Order: sequence, then structure tokens, then C-alpha cells
Amino acid sequence: MSRKLTFSGAINEALHQEMERDETVFILGEDVAKMGGDFGITRGIWLKWPHRAYDTPLSEQAIIGLSNGAAVCGLKPVAELMFADFVGVCYDQIINNSAKLAYMYDGEASAQIVVRAVTGGGIRCAYHHSQCIEPWLMNIPGLVIVAPSTPYEAKGLLVGSIRNRNPVIYLEHKLLYNKKGDVPEELYEIELFKANVVREGKDITMVAAMTMLDYAERAAVEMEKEGISVEIINPMTLFPLDKETIMDSVAKTGRLIVVQEGPKVMGYAAEIGSMVAEDIFEYLKAPLKRVTSLDTPVPFAPVQEDYVLPQYDDVIKACHEVMTF
Amino acid sequence: MALAKERLWKVYRDMVLIRRFEEEVEKYAQNGTIPGFIHLSIGQEAAQAGVVEALKYTDYKFPDHRGHGAIVLSSPPERRKNCMSEIFAKETGVNHGRGGSMHVNDLEARNMGFNGIQGSTVVTALGTAFDSYYRKANKMAGWEDENKDLDVTAVFMGDGTLGEGTCHESMNLAATWKLPLIYCLINNHYAISTHYTESHPQKELKTWGEGYEVPSYRVDGNDIEAVIEITEEAAERARKGKGPTLIEFMTYRWQGHFSGDPAAYRPDGELEKWQANCPLLLAKKKLMEVHGYSKEEIDAVHAEVEEKIQGYVKFSLESPSPKAEDAVKHVYMDRVVEGR
Repeated sequence: MSRKLTFSGAINEALHQEMERDETVFILGEDVAKMGGDFGITRGIWLKWPHRAYDTPLSEQAIIGLSNGAAVCGLKPVAELMFADFVGVCYDQIINNSAKLAYMYDGEASAQIVVRAVTGGGIRCAYHHSQCIEPWLMNIPGLVIVAPSTPYEAKGLLVGSIRNRNPVIYLEHKLLYNKKGDVPEELYEIELFKANVVREGKDITMVAAMTMLDYAERAAVEMEKEGISVEIINPMTLFPLDKETIMDSVAKTGRLIVVQEGPKVMGYAAEIGSMVAEDIFEYLKAPLKRVTSLDTPVPFAPVQEDYVLPQYDDVIKACHEVMTF
Repeated sequence: MALAKERLWKVYRDMVLIRRFEEEVEKYAQNGTIPGFIHLSIGQEAAQAGVVEALKYTDYKFPDHRGHGAIVLSSPPERRKNCMSEIFAKETGVNHGRGGSMHVNDLEARNMGFNGIQGSTVVTALGTAFDSYYRKANKMAGWEDENKDLDVTAVFMGDGTLGEGTCHESMNLAATWKLPLIYCLINNHYAISTHYTESHPQKELKTWGEGYEVPSYRVDGNDIEAVIEITEEAAERARKGKGPTLIEFMTYRWQGHFSGDPAAYRPDGELEKWQANCPLLLAKKKLMEVHGYSKEEIDAVHAEVEEKIQGYVKFSLESPSPKAEDAVKHVYMDRVVEGR
């Protein structure tokens, strides 16, 4: 049975239910046990299982290192990075260990870990608490990056991530935590590596993840009034991308807009654009468009943060540009 | 502590084996048969063989980049040839030639491998130490008995490694949670060319552990009896849930940092001084002078080891290379990566 839950409630429920089912799953991170997490995502777990929830020192390298080693022994750690920006301090553990253990151990063992990382801007917290870090990890074969947009996805993708035998960086956009949506009460799993066609259309393919999906859905409704039909694809797994679903859509519509919160240079929008230009150039009716942040750090002053982050109007403008080429 | 003579005899043979192993690896690296970098541990055999001897087969071992000795001795005799053929980049290698010298691992023997980045495994080792700690706390299958010993993890590190921030994070957490870990700090005096006194303020690196209230020792790393004694003590403490130990093993690498480095940064006479303190010589002297072994018996051990080593070399030379297209295997679990 389904009922309304917040995005944060859906994550919390996924953890409780999966831990109930599988005693090898445990959580660790800064303030995740007694306090239940800085954002309250892990509340109630320590009370239920005092030996399966661990408050760590401020030691991200130790958190990820411990997770990697424990995973090789068959445990399933779910680590929290209070802010995804902290990937910088445990980068070595993620890219040189998590990503490579399956390769190193010939598939006999792997870093089956989930790193829950609180990502994204819009909360007026400046450049060390607002970054979109996915491109930092997207040319490291062996990693998986998952990015839910709705409470339904948050629960199912987290369960899928915990059960997946690869290291998963599970991105939680902090602006989505209070978003409400239908979530089944029972435990369910959404398959990784599969994009979701959120809305079908015939004129423009719009790829959008996390908070950008909201822009895409609003733009699709607005464009419809102008007689323009937008197909929306939510990748859900940002890396490795579900290339086929995106290609099939662009081959159909001939127009591509990627709405991506982070800076323009070397983001996943660039990768999607390259895939399209390389493989299905002949299907394009207009140059592809990337709606992204400016190539700056994320500033603090609200007026400046809004100036830097992609805005809804930018999406509308991009739609008009690809339609009038 | 003096070892029983049979045990000293056994570890002497282990040390001869890894000395000869390294000499052959060096020969085939120098003549170009072995590709890539090779970091040799000739001169450091007692610390390598002694730590492995003091541990159980089921304890976790994280060798460092200068760890061929611990690697070979961790694997059972029948798989030691595969350790060598791994270094030769061959299909028969324990990791099918995908890792080489710096990454040789053998999960069945709980040799967890090195990862190529100094200090990296020092935090990964927290996880293997955490495993039995977690299972016991949660009374999982096989861990219901509260008197059951924890599995120990030994992580090898060098004097240079101590400069990495991971060492602080690891020891701080392991000491606070009392994880079953042994930090085996092989002080061979040089991080590539930099002497440890030029990169650390402590006169004895073991004092670093005291800030974490971790029992910390400095021992003669060329005296295999001392190595085994202190490691067994540390392992016992770890098994009983009393937390980590830091052991600084004082030793010296005879070769340069990598095979081919002339090591011109060392003062004249230093190497010769340490060669006079060779761990094999020390053990041999004791075997002959205290335990009454004859020269013929010692020679017989060398001959027996030589036959094994030549077998490993022959096996490595004759083994095929891995298939090029296997490079795309195991990038992900349950997911195929496209080849050419």
C-alpha cells in the first residue's frame, strides 16, 4: 500500500527495512547513530540496533576505508558523507579502493558499499556545502553514481544500491529532503543502470536529474501550451549512464537539452552531448543545449547563488532555441 | 625470547626462500622480463617472515609495496609459484597478471594486497578488523560465543607512510573502538631518498602511537625471534578485544627504492654495516652456535629452497600472458564493460 512520505522519510524507511531484512547492513558516519544524522536521515536506527549504527570521528578517509575493508569481508556498510563536498577528503579511498577492489580481487570480492552523500546547492551555504560532485567521480570506471529525484525513487534506489555488488555513491539533494510523494510501504527495489522516461514527447528530449527534474516537468507543461512536446528522461543512475534510453529518445525527437545543476565544463551533460554527437549526429535537427551552472564556485549571497545556478527561465529559453534553430 | 629450535629452523627456511625469491625477481626485472616497477625487500626478511609466522592463516594481512616476502609466505606453498608469475604479468598469476608486484593478493590466504598508494591500506585495514568486531557484537552466525577470539588484521607500513594523514585517522579510530589491528611499521630508514629523521620529529617513530594510548614498541627488525615475540603479544591483545598495537621494526633495505635505483643518497659504509647485521646471518649463527645445526644441514636447506625457487621461475617464464581482452573483466560486478 502506498502513502505520502517525504524524500528523507523514504530514505529512512529504506534503511530500516533493509536492515531488518539483512543483518550484514550497518550504518556509519559522523553523528549518524545517537543523533540520527545531521539531516535526521538515520533517525531511529541506533535505538533499534545499537551495534549496527556507528558514530565515527571526523575522519572521512577512515569511514570509507573501513567500509571498503568490511565489504570485502561480506558486510554491507552504508556510510554517510554529511556533505558530498567531503568527497575531497576521502577521494583516494573512493577512487583507488572502492572503485578498484573488484578489479584487484578478480571479482572474488568487491567494495559493496553505499556512500550516501548530501549534494547540491540552493541552501545558501556557499562553495563547500553546495557542490555537485558527480563529475569528480564520473571517469572512474568501477564506481556507480545514483541520483534519485522523488521519494519513490529514493527508497527503491537506495535498496537497489545496498543490494548492488558495486560501490555506489548515492546522491541526496538536500533541497529534496522535504519533497513529498507516494511511496509503497513494502520493501521494493528499483534497478540501477536504467533511466526512467518520466514523460513521453516527440519534439525535444530533456535529460534532468535530482532537483532539475522539477524544472523539466514544469517546462514540459508550459511548452505543451505552445504546442511543443517534451520527452523527459531522468537517468536515476548518472554513471554508468543508460545510454540506450537517451539515444533512442534523441533519435526520435532530434533535439536534446540536458539540464544539469553543476558547472558546465566536463559535466555529465558534456558526456551525453558527446555520445549523441558521436553516434547519432545525423538525427539532430538542432545543436544540443546544456543548461547548467556558470563555471564558478557556488557563492553565498542569495542573489549571487541564483545568478550562478541554472534557473527555470533558462530551461524555457533553451526550449525556444532548439525549436527555432 | 628464544624460539624452539624447530621453529627457528622453519623461519630461517622462510627467510631464505623470500631472499632468493627477491633476488630472482630483481634479476628478471633488470633484464626486462618483468615489466613495471619492482620494490625489493632484501635485508628486511625477518620483519616480513616474522610477522606472518606470528599470525594465523585466517588473520588478515595487508602487505605494503615492499612486501613480496609477506605475500609469498602468506600463500600456502602450492600457490607461491603463482605469486611469482603474478609479478611476471602472467595468466597463471594469483590475480591473472592484472595487478603485478604492487597488488599481489590472495583472498583465500587473507593476503588483502596493497593498493599502490602509501597510507591507503592503513584505513582499509580498519574494515577487516571491524568485521569480526561487528559480527561478535551482533552475535551473528559463528560469533555467538563471547569468548571467541577476534580475527586480527596486520597492516604493513613504512617509515615514510607515517607522513600520510590516513595513519592518524586509522589509529585514532582503531584505538577508540579497540579494533583488532597491528600496525607493523617497517622502519627501513628511507622513504625513497628521505631519511626518516628528516621527515618526522620523533627520535623513535613508535612514540607516535603513544599519543593514542596505543601500546607501542620498537624492536630489532632483523632479529626474527624478537619480531615473532612482539607480534604474537600484539596479536593476542587484539584477539581478546584489547585494541591495536604499533610495532616499529628497525631494519634496512639493501637495494635502492626500486630495482635500478643506485641509492646514491646513502652515506658510505651504512649499507655494509647493515649487511653485517643481515637477518639470515643472525638466524643462521644462532642455529649453528646455539642449536648445533651443521653446515651441511644449512646447505641442505639452501639447496631445497633453490630447487623450489627455480621451479617458480621456470613456471613463471613458461606461463602464458593473460588475454588482452580480459582487461575489461571485473571492472564491475554483474555488469559487462565493452571491449574494443
